Amino acid sequence: MAEATAAATTPQVSRTRPSWLVVASQELRDLWLSGKGLTLLLAYTVLLSISTYLIATNQELNFLEQREAVSLTLQLAVVVGALLVVLAAADAVSGERERGTLESLLLTAAPRRSLLAGKGLAALSLWFGALVVSIPYIWWIGRDVGTFGKALVGGFLVGTLLALFVAGIGLLVTTFSQSNGVSLAISFVVLLALLAPSRLPTEASRGWAGELLQRLDPFSAGLLYLERLIINAHSLAQDLDLLVAPAVLALASPALALLLGGRLTLLPRSRP
Amino acid sequence: MSVTAGSAGQVTSLGAPGATAIEAEGLVRTYGSRTAVDGIDLQVPRGAVLGLLGPNGAGKTTLIRLLSTLLRPDSGTFSIAGVPHTDPRGIRLRVGVLPESPGYPRSQTSEEWLTYQGRLYGSSRPEAQKTARRLLDEVGLGDRAGSMIGGLSRGMRQRLGIARALVNDPSVVFLDEPTLGLDPLGQRQILDLVTRIARERGVTVVLSTHILAEVEQVCSQVVILNRGRIVAEGTTTEVVRRAAAPRAGVVRVPTHLRDEALHTLTSLRLVADDASLDGSPDEVPVRLPGDEPVEPSAEKALRGLLDAGIPVLGFSLEGGRLSDAFLAVTKEADDG
Repeated sequence: MAEATAAATTPQVSRTRPSWLVVASQELRDLWLSGKGLTLLLAYTVLLSISTYLIATNQELNFLEQREAVSLTLQLAVVVGALLVVLAAADAVSGERERGTLESLLLTAAPRRSLLAGKGLAALSLWFGALVVSIPYIWWIGRDVGTFGKALVGGFLVGTLLALFVAGIGLLVTTFSQSNGVSLAISFVVLLALLAPSRLPTEASRGWAGELLQRLDPFSAGLLYLERLIINAHSLAQDLDLLVAPAVLALASPALALLLGGRLTLLPRSRP
Repeated sequence: MSVTAGSAGQVTSLGAPGATAIEAEGLVRTYGSRTAVDGIDLQVPRGAVLGLLGPNGAGKTTLIRLLSTLLRPDSGTFSIAGVPHTDPRGIRLRVGVLPESPGYPRSQTSEEWLTYQGRLYGSSRPEAQKTARRLLDEVGLGDRAGSMIGGLSRGMRQRLGIARALVNDPSVVFLDEPTLGLDPLGQRQILDLVTRIARERGVTVVLSTHILAEVEQVCSQVVILNRGRIVAEGTTTEVVRRAAAPRAGVVRVPTHLRDEALHTLTSLRLVADDASLDGSPDEVPVRLPGDEPVEPSAEKALRGLLDAGIPVLGFSLEGGRLSDAFLAVTKEADDG
């Protein structure tokens, strides 16, 4: 074959925006304007309204102290936000693969990692949407105990770390899944497995093993941080050591997803 | 141009040095134990319209995916418009592809999708929008720019897919089965579009298809693949000639002598084994061997009939067809 010349004329490319930002803005439009994001948030709003109504009005069901109610609502927002993010991230590539739209994306000059990063950012927006929806509820429930500001900052911090973590998991799973159903199922099961330790009875978290599990599992650690912040009226900085695992995983999981994202292929189980 | 039929691994030059759009040497790609592309060497000149033919599983789609960098070759090298395969991004900037079964975002408009695709090649939003509108006009979808893609017909979507393949102003366009599932009018529109694109833009087009008539109508060059190997290549005429495909014809004789004529031609082995007499009552089908010149075979048939005392009222011979060549070379490769 004749020597290919690297000096072949390169098409003029005017780089106005990085491709990950182009992907993110399009994905955000698709997510929020096509109605999927709004529908999910509407469902979440209904759930939140029901739980808040019961907490605020039903004397028999309302056995919670007001701080506990704020903590519970915030934890609900964090968990539902993570669920929405992981499902959106899990759909990001395998969904395109199943709909046949991945090929045209892979044929563009945009790097694979940019495609993943843009889609991951769009998925993250669901968490921020869930948080925004939660704000009036948290304010209403905690209006007499003065925890609103702390709850908002703490919730934003913990929720964002957990959302980043699960977004990375969803992206990892979707990159290597042929079927969208499999990708969604695996991501959902992983989320449930991560949530399980936080639902263990208090006795199970005693002793060094229980405490270690609580600190290593990002959901247990994050939710415990919120509990102490709101119910025990700790300061924002007091239990920051609990956020070590969520913070490390919030960096590691998307980083790993982007690292392996370079292997993103049309057919997940074949070599590129 | 040198053309080989029934042999793989020979480099075929279809153009002057330096004027090649696609150069490939020894391309191999396997899926597990199956070799989808098996040592393909190819040179395609700039501006050519190349028909990529082959039965199902011949390796056409894999070859297109290799050349468009969606897959990496296990071995071999290639370049597109002078850009080596080691620079996949550089190649993606120069190729446009209409995949075999493209999916489209149903909830985006044609213009919005094309603009997005253009931006992924690095264009600014205004530039990409301008290009999208121009391309939609070019493929006859200008009035559907604001329509949701989900509402477009299959033919319209294929035209949109072709516009998508042109969004980065490529040097080489790969069209994988662009007329699949379209009605005759839709097929005609797509083929006219392909011809126009090749003529007006001067791009190299690689058209993968099962429909041989399309290739005869549109393509200047043909490559026939079978089991991952090139079994024939050249112009349509060259491929037909080299494939030595049998040629069919009809001899008209008096009706009452038709059986006798058939018997005579059969004894001369100039009738196909599966020939039937369900045509006109005075016609006998003949089949001349493809590996001999036409004239002596035709003369042999006519002389045989006349010697048997059967008057020949008419004789017509069909031109060599690409479909016959296709069947001949793929069968030869399978037998070999």
